[in-house]
Amino acid sequence: VPKWKSNLLDQANASFQVAWKHRDSDWTKLIYSSALSPRRIVRDESSEEGEGDENNEEYDDLFKLKMVTDADADALDATKEAYLPNQLKKWADEEALDSIRHLFITGGHD
Amino acid sequence: MSSSLHYSGHLYFRHRLVLSILSGKSIKIDKIRPGDKNPGLRDYEISLLRLIEKVTNGTVIEISLTGTAILVKPGIIAGGPVVHECPTSRSIGYFLEPIIMLAPFSKKPLSLTLRGITSDDKDLSVDLIRTVTLPHLEPFGISDGLELKINKRGSPPLGGGEVSFLCPIVKQVKTLNFVEPGKVKRIRGIAHAVRLSPQFSNRMIEAARSVLNRYIPDIYLYSDVYKGEESGKSPGYALSLVAETTTSALHCAEAVSQPGVAPEDIALQASRSLLSEIERGGCVDQKHQTLVLLMMVLGSEDVGRCRMAEPTERTVQFLRDVRDAFGISFKIVPADKSRGSRHLLYSCYGSGYVNTNRTLA
Repeated sequence: VPKWKSNLLDQANASFQVAWKHRDSDWTKLIYSSALSPRRIVRDESSEEGEGDENNEEYDDLFKLKMVTDADADALDATKEAYLPNQLKKWADEEALDSIRHLFITGGHD
Repeated sequence: MSSSLHYSGHLYFRHRLVLSILSGKSIKIDKIRPGDKNPGLRDYEISLLRLIEKVTNGTVIEISLTGTAILVKPGIIAGGPVVHECPTSRSIGYFLEPIIMLAPFSKKPLSLTLRGITSDDKDLSVDLIRTVTLPHLEPFGISDGLELKINKRGSPPLGGGEVSFLCPIVKQVKTLNFVEPGKVKRIRGIAHAVRLSPQFSNRMIEAARSVLNRYIPDIYLYSDVYKGEESGKSPGYALSLVAETTTSALHCAEAVSQPGVAPEDIALQASRSLLSEIERGGCVDQKHQTLVLLMMVLGSEDVGRCRMAEPTERTVQFLRDVRDAFGISFKIVPADKSRGSRHLLYSCYGSGYVNTNRTLA
């Protein structure tokens, strides 16, 4: 294994951590000069799926467990992004409903 | 910047084809679902390639034996009258969205008839394309003669819908300067139910009002009735909503019928999605970020500005692919540092794209 390949996961994590800190300040850099996948840039840290299971190394060399990545075959080139159900659930709450009143002309000044 | 584009994987297929054709660079896409049980291009992707072949002239498309790699050498965008049958695996929106990006730069005005499914849960329905996507082109100087007519509706799975899309041609697009999101002044909606009792759309309208009425009085939800031949082959219903602000920014959301879900719940889903979209704010709806950014890239040689919410995954990749195709990158900075807003200001120097396909009158 070439040296640069030896700790790709760590490197990726490190660059991700760095990039994450600057999330609010520097989208330009995040988009154009990092190699992070769009999903990792956009999604919240909390919703990340566990990547690179350590356990995989125990499997026989002949068969490698395939990682599910961004580019899995089910992912569609679709315009409408599915809203997560709990994202919409918050609108059942009166307080949440009131919190965006200022975005309407009737809502007065903020 | 190289003279050809090379990508891997089946994602972002449509905008990559669009960028290739507009920039005149050939594009190679490989590793299209290589490990899948059913590897290679899907029927709708092949259909899209065929459609692109029809609206262009001289485009060479090579598909590898296994279907896992393609090479496209773009020709000129010809326009003119085109008819296309869309497979029922994707809705008409899937095909129309990329065509809208190409059509203004045709040789002759495009008059396109598409047949298939008119609304589904993956791509923009023809209602949203008509009421939201097309108005997004207006600030770029593409408006006179721009029209989408819904001749027949078609719900999944069998479809049977038909739309006609008319698009004028332009020499150049105008530079955008859109930084004031404004406040929502009205909400419009279209509820339709085909091959079902019209009661379904009335129930959706009532439920949507229960959420939206609290905000503003100017709400008009229209019940669109299509009968007989015009209602397609399968039953279904949907609600699409549009919020317009004082500065004409449009935000939209929609929900389509699902088996076993009451129309009230579909309406709630649509209304709540609209609220999420309004909360996200900005001058451009999230689903239209790429269209607006593309037109900014093609704008005249001046700095275009637009205030939008944070980019979606598709937008992030689109920005990267735009840089490959046109060598243009955007400057993206927080719109106002003082307040806690998450809005960003996107700006770029337009490429001064000139429609060379256009026949000189």
